Amino acid sequence: MARPPILSLALPSETGRVLSIQSHTVQGYVGNKAAVFPLQLLGYDVDPINSVQFSNHTGNLLYTTFSNRYPTFRGQVLNGQQLCDLIEGLAANDLLYYTHLLTGYIGSVSFLDTVLQVVDRLRMVNPGLIYVCDPVMGDEGKLYVPPDLVSVYREKVIPVASMLTPNQFEVELLTGLRLITSESDGLKACNILHAAGPSKVVITSLNIEGKLLLIGSHQKLEGQPPHQFKIIIPKIPAYFTGTGDLMTALLLGWSNKYPDNLEKASELAVSSLQALLHRTLEDYKAVGFDPQSSSLEIRLIQSQDDIRNPEVKFKAEEYT
Amino acid sequence: MKQPLVLLPRRLHLGLRTSPSYSARSSGRSAMTPPPILSLVLPSETGRVLSIQSHTVQGYVGNKSAVFPLQLLGYDVDPINSVQFSNHTGYPTFKGHVLNGQQLCDLIEGLSENHLLYYTHLLTGYIGSVSFLEMVLQVVERLRVVNPGLLYVCDPVMGDEGKLYVAPDLVSVYREKVVPVASMLTPNHFEIELLTGLRITSESDGLKACNILHAAGPSKVVITSLSIKEKVFLIGSHQKVKGQSPQQFKIVIPKIPAYFTGSGDLMTALLLGWSNIYPDNLEKASELAVSSLQAVLQRTLADYTTAGFDPQSSSLEIRLVQSQDDIRNPEIKLKAESYT
Repeated sequence: MARPPILSLALPSETGRVLSIQSHTVQGYVGNKAAVFPLQLLGYDVDPINSVQFSNHTGNLLYTTFSNRYPTFRGQVLNGQQLCDLIEGLAANDLLYYTHLLTGYIGSVSFLDTVLQVVDRLRMVNPGLIYVCDPVMGDEGKLYVPPDLVSVYREKVIPVASMLTPNQFEVELLTGLRLITSESDGLKACNILHAAGPSKVVITSLNIEGKLLLIGSHQKLEGQPPHQFKIIIPKIPAYFTGTGDLMTALLLGWSNKYPDNLEKASELAVSSLQALLHRTLEDYKAVGFDPQSSSLEIRLIQSQDDIRNPEVKFKAEEYT
Repeated sequence: MKQPLVLLPRRLHLGLRTSPSYSARSSGRSAMTPPPILSLVLPSETGRVLSIQSHTVQGYVGNKSAVFPLQLLGYDVDPINSVQFSNHTGYPTFKGHVLNGQQLCDLIEGLSENHLLYYTHLLTGYIGSVSFLEMVLQVVERLRVVNPGLLYVCDPVMGDEGKLYVAPDLVSVYREKVVPVASMLTPNHFEIELLTGLRITSESDGLKACNILHAAGPSKVVITSLSIKEKVFLIGSHQKVKGQSPQQFKIVIPKIPAYFTGSGDLMTALLLGWSNIYPDNLEKASELAVSSLQAVLQRTLADYTTAGFDPQSSSLEIRLVQSQDDIRNPEIKLKAESYT
């Protein structure tokens, strides 16, 4: 029988076909559970490779001053060979043409090395593949991956990433800039990353002088000064799980629709995320739960309209 | 065997305080109220679904076909992926791995340990082995210990058009052990014949088959496609009060000259979704489900044709993502006719 075309590639579309290699938790919204649904809402066909299947997320085990949401978890981890098998299966069926690759938390150097092979493989089929990489390593000064991952991200992953979405701690680790204490430090860090690889960098949260900012940087032409901007983000007095994974997915989704306007894409992503966080906070309060006493599961499903059609409430300010 | 500890990320939005850090895994911690599961605590016309189905990286079958529509309808869905394959088995080849019964148990244990086993619905589709099906039956019991009102929506996937595509020993397990515990069953023509022992060549045969199933277990039965005298029907049957005559109806479905993968899984998910929103109106729920599905299939057909592909020359991947508006807000184009 004739092989049917892959319609997400054959028909004109402002979206694309995304391979997303992230964790899967049965309960809760982290990893692929946080990233896939929003991208589907934005019209993307997403092919998820689940790097693990756990009952629930583990939460950040470094923070124990308040109740960790889930004291335990159970499940299975994909090894490098199993990841290769899945890629082989796709290859054997001519299913390896992707417009985007998305990765988030990766737990071991060996898995990260295998992901790098996947990048190569995908680019042989589509040299224009856009690799959106969330270099998950830690937060608020604390590493929560094995330390040997840092140099792999810095030396091998950055050079092949198209867009990078580090937080403050991660951009410090990747650039060696310790510590980032001003906006111009943040811009300098972006410039270092552009020179090493990605044309788009979004530092998803920077804590500078009591304010919370997103900084975005788009180097439209190699070697030229990038277009840079910031968005001031409200501080929300609560901890949420999955927001980083969601943010990176939203940035992929919107930056592909507005490829030359990273500012607009970031405004849409931030506005969606903020609406969702606000709803999450309100919903926990509505049931009489103190949102500060534990980390919160995001109300992803209930916020789908804000994801599909965000009202832009947070505007970007350019750095000239 | 428990896997080594793997830390998953938590992306934190900075609160107004900084937290001291610990490098060791926490054990003793002051007991604090765990946060509520909002999908259960807040009033909602939807619910919290545990869906145990296949996962394919590419394509829309199993959980890839069922989860997104239910999410669009407002459900929180917890998928347990019974397999992870590169693509569905209709392609010339596939690669991947299968969850064994023990691994399924581990996931349930993990949920249980975190008090996460209260579900409003359980959804199952294709199951490949008797041992896995037996495990699923244990899961049903486990979930009903926590929530006796759990609705188990079961698609008893065994075959189609006269052909069995599961191991034959599954049939009696479905018939004898699964049917009695199902709340809603969505067999096709072939499957309901297997489950009831009835040969169905007329609409009244179809209704009789539904009655047999009601007596054995489920209060809701939807025969998703019956081929009778050149026409294709859906027949729905809702026994509102045990022992009483069920309310029965049909919907005539247009024959579409093409084969689609994943449409059955999608249909069952839509039936779960809408029948929970209209619990006393299986007719309306079925009209909405059928209308959504037809819109997806029509769009799929049109899109392949636009791309220059003859839709009859291969089975087709459904345009699920592109049909999300039809899933969220279907226009009812196919109406139910009651059997009086």
